[in-house]
Amino acid sequence: METATASSSSSPASISFYDFLDRMRNPASLDLVRSIKSFIVSFSFYAPNPESDGKRVQDFFLSMETSIRDHPLWAGASDEEIDCAMEGLEKYVMTKLFSRAFACCPDDLRIDQEIAEKISMLQTFLRPEHLDIPTILRSESSWLLAEKELGKINAHKAPREKLLCIMNCCRVINNLLLNASMSEKHVLAGADDFLPVLIYVTIKANPPQLHSNLKFIQLYRRQAKLTSEAAYYFTNLVSAKSFIVDLHAKSLSIDEIEFEENMQVAKLANKVPDEDPCPTRDGEDGLRRETGVGTFTAMNFKERSNSGLQYSFNNLFELAKMHMIVTGSPYPFMQAEARDLTVGDVERLLRLYKDVVDKYTNLCTAYRHLASSKLESGHFKGSTASCCYEQPETSVSRQREDGADI
Amino acid sequence: MGCSSSLPDRNSGRLSGLNSENSGATDAKNLRVKLVLLGDSGVGKSCIVLRFVRGQFDPTSKVTIGASFLSQTIALQDSTTVKFEIWDTAGQERYAALAPLYYRGASVAVVVYDITSPESFQKAQYWVKELQKHGSPDMVMALVGNKADLLENREVSDQDGMEYAEKNRMFFIETSAKTADNINQLFEEIAKRLPRPASS
Ligand SMILES: Nc1nc2c(ncn2[C@@H]2O[C@H](COP(=O)(O)OP(=O)(O)O)[C@@H](O)[C@H]2O)c(=O)[nH]1
Ligand SMILES: [Mg+2]
Repeated sequence: METATASSSSSPASISFYDFLDRMRNPASLDLVRSIKSFIVSFSFYAPNPESDGKRVQDFFLSMETSIRDHPLWAGASDEEIDCAMEGLEKYVMTKLFSRAFACCPDDLRIDQEIAEKISMLQTFLRPEHLDIPTILRSESSWLLAEKELGKINAHKAPREKLLCIMNCCRVINNLLLNASMSEKHVLAGADDFLPVLIYVTIKANPPQLHSNLKFIQLYRRQAKLTSEAAYYFTNLVSAKSFIVDLHAKSLSIDEIEFEENMQVAKLANKVPDEDPCPTRDGEDGLRRETGVGTFTAMNFKERSNSGLQYSFNNLFELAKMHMIVTGSPYPFMQAEARDLTVGDVERLLRLYKDVVDKYTNLCTAYRHLASSKLESGHFKGSTASCCYEQPETSVSRQREDGADI
Repeated sequence: MGCSSSLPDRNSGRLSGLNSENSGATDAKNLRVKLVLLGDSGVGKSCIVLRFVRGQFDPTSKVTIGASFLSQTIALQDSTTVKFEIWDTAGQERYAALAPLYYRGASVAVVVYDITSPESFQKAQYWVKELQKHGSPDMVMALVGNKADLLENREVSDQDGMEYAEKNRMFFIETSAKTADNINQLFEEIAKRLPRPASS
């Protein structure tokens, strides 16, 4: 398998990213840096719009590829070297644009939340036989490994690295299928075996923000790279998501009444706004997935259903919006377009700007403090080498990369 | 905000890319095509692909030998090559609605049935209709009657297969993955029918 080579701690992707940064810091590439920076800045003039943002970013990647090919610093470079530079560029640009480009509309958050809720309901009763997964493919250890890979998806910002989590998950499943076909009389059944296992693993993993992650990869992974095998496995996860979203009793080998009953019970048990909609910083949440089962006990089920405190995330979101309307937003320019502004706004804008920067700086300090105390007390897992496949960077180097500038 | 929540269609308005997804022609002489397999479970899709991919050795291929995505390059007489990227689809009924996600952007669809099973022939016709409704109009479509070695159990005549294919402007062939009969021919014939990018 091609990936077995990349098991060392300094992943080649990381090296090439630093190589990219180095070259960009070379005075000779000042023109490239200017284009990159002005491209990134240009985004602050428009409201986020996934469709057109995606198109603009893809077009930019293509035009930068031409510029890099023609650039003296890359004179005589091989296709692979150009490709490395492009991977570095994708990572740099998308890390900078991440908060704008990822899960940027309320709709995305809502869909993510709906999927996560449905999955956690399904987790309470779904069994492999409901998807007719053959006994020989029921391997808890392989599934756990696959779930872990998928669960890491929010630990990364670069589209390539998110995609890699999906690929690694699929590779674990493929290994399982191959082993099964070699050890026993099970014939390789291709997609007939693969898809049900991927669906089951996806449900067990309940990967954070599934919809937003898929959308982000689709829009921002360099187009030339979302082809062939990567496109195939990506499509399989899109299709697993779609199956889960539309899933009803008839989609499974289960008695219809039994299904409805299970869903009702799970709905009551799960109706608490306990999922964190924000991207997590590392892979440590990869195994927190059995919550649906874990939290459901007869007692808290009764408590919760009697308390009437069953707001979903949606309600909270609406509430927050209402609050803003009633009390007035502290940041009144959020909905403004550049053309709406006048010179008279400058003073107020500057004051708000300083206020935001202050808050942000304080938040960062607090966050760093929190992260480092976590590190010391040993709770900072997530970068344990669980798998010999190519791994995106560890969380520590990632924080450095997030802040990297050229 | 102009936000749409569904996954955007990659192929809408983005065909300007150097390597568009469907017929990702690397150049006029070396085509890369996405081929999607459709048909009931058990008709022999996996066997056909394994038969085609096995026995030809491509040391430069870095593709994982997964069971559901395989690729194979063939050389044609005019010294061009075609790299088939073969996408298997789950044949179980409960996944039928997902098929469009797989055949979107494919340049070739191969619809397989089992000549000993009239139901599988019915199912093949269902897929052909689906592809005509939702697939890209310039997709090359092939109808394949597999298990041709099981002559004594034949329940779908080759006449029926041929007529249906002709009516729907598809290429038709009967194969046996067991004896390897017509397997290579299937892919060679498809390769010949691919639209070629204008050579320079
Ligand atoms: N006799 C005969 N059996 C075949 C042929 N092709 C496939 N089979 C058998 O049909 C069964 C299903 O084949 P498979 O490739 O898994 O079908 P798929 O579900 O369409 O992928 C297996 O038991 C194969 O051995 C063939 O050409 N002739
Ligand atoms: Mg199969």
